[in-house]
Amino acid sequence: MEARKDLKLSNVTMRFNGFVAVDDLNLEVKAGELRCLIGPNGAGKTTTLDIICGKAKATSGEIRLGDTVLNHLEEHEIARIGIGRKFQVPSVFRQLTVRENLLVAHSRQPGVLRNALRFRRGEDTEGLDKLAELVGLRDHLHRLAGHLSHGQTQWLEIALLLAQDPKLILMDEPTAGMTTQETRKTAELFNRLKGNRTLIVVEHDMAFVKEIAEVISVMHQGKLLAQGTVAQIERDPAVKEAYLGSGGISDA
Amino acid sequence: MLTRNSRQIVIYSLFCAAILALPLFVQDAFLLNKSARYLVLGILAMALSLSWGYGGILNLGQATSFGLGSYCMAMALKLRTVPVHTGAEGLPDFMVWNNVETLPWFWVPFHSMPFALAAGILVPALLAGLLAWFMFRGRVTGVYVAIITLAFLVVVNLLIIDQQRFTGGFNGITDLAQLELFGFEFDAYGASSYYLIAVTLTICLFAALLVTKSKAGLILQAIRDHENRVRYFGYDVAGYKIFAMTVSAAIAGVAGMLYTVVMEFASPTFLNVPLSLSVVIWCAVGGRQSLLGSVFGAILIAGMQGALSESEVFLDTWTLVMGLVFVLVVLFLPQGLAGAGHRLLDRLFAPRKADVARGSPQGVMAPPSS
Repeated sequence: MEARKDLKLSNVTMRFNGFVAVDDLNLEVKAGELRCLIGPNGAGKTTTLDIICGKAKATSGEIRLGDTVLNHLEEHEIARIGIGRKFQVPSVFRQLTVRENLLVAHSRQPGVLRNALRFRRGEDTEGLDKLAELVGLRDHLHRLAGHLSHGQTQWLEIALLLAQDPKLILMDEPTAGMTTQETRKTAELFNRLKGNRTLIVVEHDMAFVKEIAEVISVMHQGKLLAQGTVAQIERDPAVKEAYLGSGGISDA
Repeated sequence: MLTRNSRQIVIYSLFCAAILALPLFVQDAFLLNKSARYLVLGILAMALSLSWGYGGILNLGQATSFGLGSYCMAMALKLRTVPVHTGAEGLPDFMVWNNVETLPWFWVPFHSMPFALAAGILVPALLAGLLAWFMFRGRVTGVYVAIITLAFLVVVNLLIIDQQRFTGGFNGITDLAQLELFGFEFDAYGASSYYLIAVTLTICLFAALLVTKSKAGLILQAIRDHENRVRYFGYDVAGYKIFAMTVSAAIAGVAGMLYTVVMEFASPTFLNVPLSLSVVIWCAVGGRQSLLGSVFGAILIAGMQGALSESEVFLDTWTLVMGLVFVLVVLFLPQGLAGAGHRLLDRLFAPRKADVARGSPQGVMAPPSS
């Protein structure tokens, strides 16, 4: 059994030309946990994910996964350590088929020369077909990803992350643009993933958050405002204040 | 029914068989030489298709690699001619005219033909790899790649023209011996050179096809589509792009060497801007996302250019005609002739699946849906 790898952000600050997007943030997520990250617009949620996956470099502070410090690693090195990222705007390879998308995401051996000598036939693709089935794209394996509907594209990107098989998955608004039914199916899937992997989910849809959340972290103006279960957060006066005018997160 | 993959292999094989059979029908030495020349340009276009069509790297300096390859071959062949002024083992004539007294150190190893052949591949490949390393480690993308590669081409071109003492300057390197390999002599106007080129084209075409069919080829296409997404799956995007550009440059270097063999000289025009931009047009017309399409585009356009510029009717207007053809293709066949061909074959073979199926294994006819 591998050592459990917790994610730990210590005193992380991110400044863009004087604007402080993330301000002295401390956040700890235990291995296998599903953490929801919520907060009003501009709270710094997406920036926090960017800092973890290397898209943005923190101005100060330290980010660790287990014993590994992530601060100075490049994006692909962070990905190889086992961190996957789903973007707010669904990002898939539109000119490739669903199956080819999954093959690319399945990145056990990322080296150039090794891959130049590998041909698609020899690969274990059964697992990938099962993944496609899991997200309901089994019948679309040979379709171009660019021809999928918006919801299907979101699901494809989730499947890509599962094909990549990271220990920690960062999800930025995974249900954006999904129908209620699709959202419910996504919640089901996430509940199944819990425990095997660590998930950090940034989401606005509170119904969805309530369905999947164990612990919620609330961010406001770059800081961690509150942390706790759904019930605790709903009662928290500071959170009510932050969501002023919208009557607290229940109505958000 | 044939799968798309095997259909592609059949078409590629048919094409190679056709070019290999051509000398059986064409006996005219001049025509054979011209055909060989077009095939060489086809190899050059195919090299660009690999980096541009698959990797999304618009290398406007493809002619750098081509020219360097051709100079490597020319240097070796020059050392095999007997100079009029200095006799056997003497200095090349242009060096004598420029008051060079001893053979420069970098010319010496070209006495060996194996060295020259290796240099013709490795020099362009390493140089392109180095340039790619600087660009892609620095995350240079899009139009800036085009500008940098074009500028690099101009620098190399000026350098070669400027160093007349060692390179022959504007005149290039002329009056070459004929290539001799394994006791075979390759006459530029004979079937031997044609076969050498046709066989090399076949080998390069299938080697490049293998690259595109490998997982690395798939990842390159993914990079072309969405570079960042690939990065967050743990791939070193820069590494893949450097690989694509290096392989492409190596193939272009091979083409350059062959060009010297058929043209019987090397000149700065082999690595000038007009040629380099023509390669882009050939790929665009033939279909940059298809290796064979690019070869075909080069042969067609270069052939048309030759035919039109020689005909009396179009003597003054042939550049206009070429421009018109290019505009029409870009307007109506965004995936080039290869895209049109694939669509036609799809209609013929699988009329029912047309809307579900993807265009081809390389995505030739896949229109980006919006």
